[in-house]
Amino acid sequence: MTLLKPLTTSLSIQLLLLGITLLSGCSMGKIVARSSTSILDGGVDAMNRETDLLLAEQAIPANIKLMEGLITEDPDNQDLRVYTAQAFYGYAYGFVELADSERAKALYQRGFDHAGKALQRWHITDELLQGDPDKLHQAVSKLNKSAVPALFWAASNWAKRIDLDRTNPTSIAELASTEILMRQVLKLQPDYYYGGASLFYGVYYGSRAPMFGGDFTRADANFSAARKVSNNRLLLIDVLQAEYLERQRFDQAKFHQLLTEVANTPQGHFPEMALANQIARARARYLLIKEEEWF
Amino acid sequence: MVLNNKRFLSVILILGILLVSRGAFAAHVLKFATLAPAGSTWMNLLEDWATEVEQRSEGRLHFKFYPGGIQGDEPDVLKKIRFNQLQGAAFSGHGIGQIYSPARVMELPYLFNSFAETDFVREKLMPEFEQGFHDNQFELLGWMEIGFVHIFSKEPVRTLDDMKSRRVWLWQGDPMGKAFFKASKIQPVPLSIIDVYTSLSTGLIDTVYSTPLASIAMQWFTKVKYMNDTPLTNAMGGLVVSRRFFDRLPADLQTLLRETGKATGKRLVSATREDNQKSRDELRKRGITFIASDEGISTEKLIAIRDIAASELMAQNYIPEQLIERTKTLLHDYRNPHTATNN
Repeated sequence: MTLLKPLTTSLSIQLLLLGITLLSGCSMGKIVARSSTSILDGGVDAMNRETDLLLAEQAIPANIKLMEGLITEDPDNQDLRVYTAQAFYGYAYGFVELADSERAKALYQRGFDHAGKALQRWHITDELLQGDPDKLHQAVSKLNKSAVPALFWAASNWAKRIDLDRTNPTSIAELASTEILMRQVLKLQPDYYYGGASLFYGVYYGSRAPMFGGDFTRADANFSAARKVSNNRLLLIDVLQAEYLERQRFDQAKFHQLLTEVANTPQGHFPEMALANQIARARARYLLIKEEEWF
Repeated sequence: MVLNNKRFLSVILILGILLVSRGAFAAHVLKFATLAPAGSTWMNLLEDWATEVEQRSEGRLHFKFYPGGIQGDEPDVLKKIRFNQLQGAAFSGHGIGQIYSPARVMELPYLFNSFAETDFVREKLMPEFEQGFHDNQFELLGWMEIGFVHIFSKEPVRTLDDMKSRRVWLWQGDPMGKAFFKASKIQPVPLSIIDVYTSLSTGLIDTVYSTPLASIAMQWFTKVKYMNDTPLTNAMGGLVVSRRFFDRLPADLQTLLRETGKATGKRLVSATREDNQKSRDELRKRGITFIASDEGISTEKLIAIRDIAASELMAQNYIPEQLIERTKTLLHDYRNPHTATNN
């Protein structure tokens, strides 16, 4: 009896699902993919809280492949696309970029492709993304808050791919378009992903000389804005300020101070983003080794 | 490779050892600045140069690069070289004009029509240029090219008259640009190159000049709609080091630096030409309208403007008359091989 009940329940669910499938024309895979989104929410949260870099490094690829499998069943699922784009970004930045920039470039591209597919729901096509920036701006400026996650992860993956592909004029020309996507994120939801848009602009203005469109004052202001959103708990902000702005501004003392503080910050002060902070510590230690070469 | 703690520390240790062994024990360190961003084609080629020099000198000569304008724009870098804070740099014609201005004869407006013409004349004049840099306390190690410079504008510019009603940028302190605009009877807006992007945004200027690649690298292309396809000039550049640094090198390292610098210059010229071609395609794709050469002013008028600009530069002794005449003769010889004089 005790065994029969779950079986009966399971059968009922299957029949119910079959019924829904027949009625809606939806495939079973698609239903599973759609119902998995809430599980993925929890998965992303758990991964963000991970403190063991090795565990995270080994787990993320499996999660990516699981999500890509679900996408095969439900290719128009924007939530899945955005989660996958985020996972590619995190994996490439945290575990691949410093060791193998070519591989990281390809991973960022895959992340961008997923977020780009999500953007198609709002008629942001590949043609628009790769064409006249003015036309892209016209289309993107009409989007509402629901498009923010797709815009954010598309711009983030795209900008990192460009950062690793500076030998290619096509890539360099695309930089302006990434900024158009992020401008809309900043306008609609400046606190999305702990002020990620401000962080983007900190790097955007801080990583280039003024003659190339850089602006150190604006970079400073954007890093400060990002700190405010996360209550100064996200160590990645200091790392990116050192790596891009202070290097470009040629301020060795500030570069050293920011990175040393990050490397010495004890674990546990921001458990919701523990993994990002662990990655930041590792990157800070790597960048401190570059200090002698860069200054 | 992974970034777990143990393996990350190993990587750090290995990198640390490599860095210490590469730079710390070199007898000569060449601090070299460039506007080329880290990771760009130019920077990669410069790093290949450094690697070759370090290997062939068995670590006695080490480069330390400052890419992406970290050390400031060209006048800043030149000042730092004169104070020996830096020893070398990759300069465009703007910076070179402050070292040995006659070399900018290669940038006279509307002079060269093709890369082949440029290459021919430059090859003939190179010994004179090298001597000129030497006499002005620098060594010219390699020749570079920024590429053919075009007018980029928010409104169509088909003729020079069209430019008279526009707000046209002039690179502040550039005698070559000033002479060209004076000859064309255009009143430009002199600005530092640092202010161009912002000034295009605010409308202080609406017309600039640049190569296709530079218009992308500096993101100016996002602020304009048109490119006039008649090139103004073929902008040049050079790899230079101070004589204060060069003269203290042993003879074998001087030879090594010259030989590899020249080869690097050739690779840079070739890569720049390729990237400028790719950039033209990219500009088209991104909505820039090209205004064809035959929509513009007559060749005769362009030549007249060039000659007026040249007279202005001769009068300032920026480029000697004798060098301008010699350049024109060489160009004539190239275009008319059957009547060539023996230059």
